[in-house]
Amino acid sequence: MMKKGKRFEWGYLLLIPGIGYILLFIIMSTYVMIMQSLGYYNYTGESGFSLQFWGEVFDQQFLDSLLYSLKIGIGSSMISIVICYPFVLILQKTKGKRILLSIMKTPMFIPALVGSFLIINIIDYHGIVNELLVFLRIIEEPLRLRNDKYGIGVLMIQVWKNVPFQMLIMSSAIESIRKDVVDAARNLGANIFSIIRHIILPLTLPSALIAVTLVFIGTFNDFAVSNTAGPLYPNSLSSLMLRNANVFGEWNLSACIGTMMMITTILLVSIYTLIAKRLEKLD
Amino acid sequence: MATSVSVNNVVKKFGNVTVLKGISFHIEPGEFVTLLGPSGCGKTTILRIIAGFLDPEEGQVLFNDKVVNNVKPNKRNTAMCFQSYALFPNKTVYENIRFGLRMRKVPSDEQRQRVENAIAMVNLTGLGDRKPYELSGGQQQRVALARAIVVNPDILLFDEPLSNLDAKLRERVRMEIREVQKAMGITTIYVTHDQAEALSISDNVIAMSNGTIVQKASPRAIYDYPSTEFVADHIGAANIIPAEMGSAKGDFVEVNTPIGCLYANNFHHIKDQKIALCIRPEDLHPVLKKERMENMNIITGKIRNAIYMGNQLDLFFLVNDYLIRASVPKDYIIEEGATIDFAIPRDKVLVVGCEK
Repeated sequence: MMKKGKRFEWGYLLLIPGIGYILLFIIMSTYVMIMQSLGYYNYTGESGFSLQFWGEVFDQQFLDSLLYSLKIGIGSSMISIVICYPFVLILQKTKGKRILLSIMKTPMFIPALVGSFLIINIIDYHGIVNELLVFLRIIEEPLRLRNDKYGIGVLMIQVWKNVPFQMLIMSSAIESIRKDVVDAARNLGANIFSIIRHIILPLTLPSALIAVTLVFIGTFNDFAVSNTAGPLYPNSLSSLMLRNANVFGEWNLSACIGTMMMITTILLVSIYTLIAKRLEKLD
Repeated sequence: MATSVSVNNVVKKFGNVTVLKGISFHIEPGEFVTLLGPSGCGKTTILRIIAGFLDPEEGQVLFNDKVVNNVKPNKRNTAMCFQSYALFPNKTVYENIRFGLRMRKVPSDEQRQRVENAIAMVNLTGLGDRKPYELSGGQQQRVALARAIVVNPDILLFDEPLSNLDAKLRERVRMEIREVQKAMGITTIYVTHDQAEALSISDNVIAMSNGTIVQKASPRAIYDYPSTEFVADHIGAANIIPAEMGSAKGDFVEVNTPIGCLYANNFHHIKDQKIALCIRPEDLHPVLKKERMENMNIITGKIRNAIYMGNQLDLFFLVNDYLIRASVPKDYIIEEGATIDFAIPRDKVLVVGCEK
């Protein structure tokens, strides 16, 4: 009996635009970046395998920038979710919820750079915040919130920019919890805090994790806000990478920094996922 | 000790719509009462008011003669089984059942004991580690039942708990619910739109229509003596025939209808109201020989359809162009188009009030 050969499914061709895009712009560019960090694809000089750039990249400046970027990434994603959670919970019971949500979404539609300057105007040495604090005699001298060495200004701007984004994710996550599940908990004797602790938090944890992860990726790799409101030293990894490539022409070093940024992001996302799974099991 | 429930003149509005128009009833301790009515009649609303999820605009809810209007749902000691089961999807069967005990801060040893007892009671032994999505609909409903009874509630509330189950399973879980309720003696309020469910499970049935109570009676009484056309039509199959009251003849009354003049029973409760007759299909008996029968109404009809229902044969026949349904034994042999007499006992022809 003749074996039937597998017929080619022409429908797969429809995947080309999507897969082609991913291949070209994500996989290929990642491949080039990794290879560049290993000495290939040199724009100047000879190309060839070398670990020289990896040996050079781990200097004090890189480690300071890595720590700074981690602080901004973890700090802003965590502060944002801590602000976002109670706000969204309260918002569920508030009249005019949709209007409030629409107003809160505004920062999402403002480009990071513009938003950064908007907030700088408020938190600057002679901005409204400092003027008000001095006027109220809470502080004697204005605080240095912009370009401060701790990155407080950057954190404030990132939180301002990312709380609305996390709110979108979290409000739909909370809305998706069926009302009768909450009613069942109330009926079984749970007060509002027990409902949040035992029902709402565990059920929205996966969404919170996504919200935190997405904000972390954005803020850890941020360039615009750190460059405008961040400290003079250390810089964010993105700034360091750009300076190495554009100012010093060290494309291979930049590729090493880029690879490290990617590895750190993947590592932290994996840790987040692990923690979330543990928490889910603990519940 | 079981708890009594009283609902006094409760009014509930959603926007401009009044969904409960002054509802009042009383449930004795340990009684199993079913609120029966079509969708939108307000039965779930009254259940949610008793549970404390909704506040009435007017009226009072009393548990053991104590007003509970201002008592929060988590302090009422009621336990509700929802139509959708409302199990906590993030918790196992064991954790779901334990939840109410944790909230009541019951010692952990006692928690374990009571949860295990509840699991055994609803035949879920060995499934404690499963998540709700790993269970069938019937099993999920049993978890909901176990979760409700494990806290020893004063009042058990059921909101159409079986409507997502298939017919066979519905029957089985229904029986289990009744057995558990009887064993524990908990006052129970059960909401359904399924008349068979209401009749088979309850001590008393409250028929509701359009935000009002139409009749409260035992299952037998509400089926045998419906007070209105709505109750007659909604509970069981019925031939509802428009009628005009004639003169009383002893225990019976002469009633004029499109299918002829009939003698009817159960007419004393009708006061200055439009009436109709209710005749249950199983109360129409085919007669082979036309003979004088004591206390029987006789009507003659031409068979239009004979539908085999498995346990019976349903005959649809025309009397003066009025379609009547009779249920006869399944082995009854009749041809469509045949003309046949039917006898109806006078005491089975019921006078019911018309709502409109």
